[in-house]
Amino acid sequence: MTFLNFAHVHLLLNHLPTVGFGVGFCLYLAAFFGKNEPLKKTSITLLFLIALMAIPTYVTGNAAERALCPERMCPEGVSENAMRAHEDAALFAFLLMELTGFFSWLALWQLRLKPKIASWNWNLILLLSLASFGLMAAAAAQGGEIRHPEIRAVQEPGAPPEAPYEGLTRSLGGMIAGNTGIGWLWPAAEAVHFVGLTLLFIAVLVVDLRVLGMAKSLSFPAVFQLLPVGMLGFMLNLLTGMMFFIASPGQYTNNPEFHRKVLFIVLAGFNVLYFMLVDETWVVGPNEDAPLRAKIAAVVAIYLWVGILYYGNMLPFLGNSF
Amino acid sequence: MIEYLKWIEDIGISAWVRESPSIFAFPTVLLLHTFGMALCVGVNASINLRILGVAPGIKLAPLERLMPVLWLGFVINAITGTLLVMQDASTKLRNPDFYAKMVFIAVALVILRLIQKRVFRDPAIDKRPFTSNAKTLAVLSLFFWLAAITAGRLLAYVGPVSGLG
Repeated sequence: MTFLNFAHVHLLLNHLPTVGFGVGFCLYLAAFFGKNEPLKKTSITLLFLIALMAIPTYVTGNAAERALCPERMCPEGVSENAMRAHEDAALFAFLLMELTGFFSWLALWQLRLKPKIASWNWNLILLLSLASFGLMAAAAAQGGEIRHPEIRAVQEPGAPPEAPYEGLTRSLGGMIAGNTGIGWLWPAAEAVHFVGLTLLFIAVLVVDLRVLGMAKSLSFPAVFQLLPVGMLGFMLNLLTGMMFFIASPGQYTNNPEFHRKVLFIVLAGFNVLYFMLVDETWVVGPNEDAPLRAKIAAVVAIYLWVGILYYGNMLPFLGNSF
Repeated sequence: MIEYLKWIEDIGISAWVRESPSIFAFPTVLLLHTFGMALCVGVNASINLRILGVAPGIKLAPLERLMPVLWLGFVINAITGTLLVMQDASTKLRNPDFYAKMVFIAVALVILRLIQKRVFRDPAIDKRPFTSNAKTLAVLSLFFWLAAITAGRLLAYVGPVSGLG
């Protein structure tokens, strides 16, 4: 066993989505009732960051399961049914949380164009964050039951053992993998994954190449209008990527290329925040040079996204997928 | 016919791409093909989306400065695509999906030419709203690139499968 395996990472991260979203949601409410604009920005930034960190939290869950139950043999006191229920709750919470993260990011972007967040988006974030916080708390509670029999419902002595529960995530995953005879889901998701990649690269190319000095007659606020296209591409790829993950978690759980890919995605999320939060790049007009920090951020962005593409491509070659 | 396709597969470079355990063989050729796609279709789609009204703050004319990026992506993909077909010629060249992909790309390139001639060369570019003609070209371009990407991805799933026949 290595010094820090991915089960450790799951245990390190797994309180973050619940606690972080709780804090983000409270800040959000405070900003809402206090009509405090800077606090609004802080709360949606936090919601975006927690949604970002929920990605490694979710995908390390299967490693934690493997560490706990090697070869699907769980030790005494560990409930596999509780694990399946935890996985189901976590998947729904995760999907809602990522949607919240997307619209929070969109609100940050809107704040760049207008002094206020559009009210439809503000209300949508309120609903989504409330729902994801509730679901994430449920997922966390289910997760606690895996290893803590003291909080599980007492089972009558001599009662028949619980019937094994496959779980919705596993059934859904099996369907995507083609086990139920629907063969086109995986290939279709792959095609969408490539389209999403292209959309994402529109933003990476136009924005970062402009920062580095190409097509200089464009102003920064103009090219930054393309960022939502890139974020939409990212969301398509997160969704289709998660379809691959739940269809075949074993291909990813112990695959170092996949871990690097997820790490790079987290770093790329922080990189995007630089462009969203720092004012210096938003005032650069046509034919003006970008500040040095923006150029460094653009080079880092290109490095990270090309890296993400590289690790994705190398999953079956350097890693152990497929 | 099949002998000829087999002969293509047996050329040194085809065999190297297919069989070499080196990371620079098949994995890197495939990686470059994806990367070239992102450059070529990425720039093309940003022009199309701009014509369709996305990111209205961006003037269209300066986007032509990104054309070299598009053509760089295209050249990378023409080369890596040729290698990917050669290393599996007896399967890929008998797959109708491959020819569908080539037709989609050819049509997309013709549309790109038309966009360059009719939209970028228009003296009134960025001075008045885009014509419905320009918008139609943009929609068609997005459609054919989307179709080319999809047909390309499906090459792994439809038609004859490698190793059989």
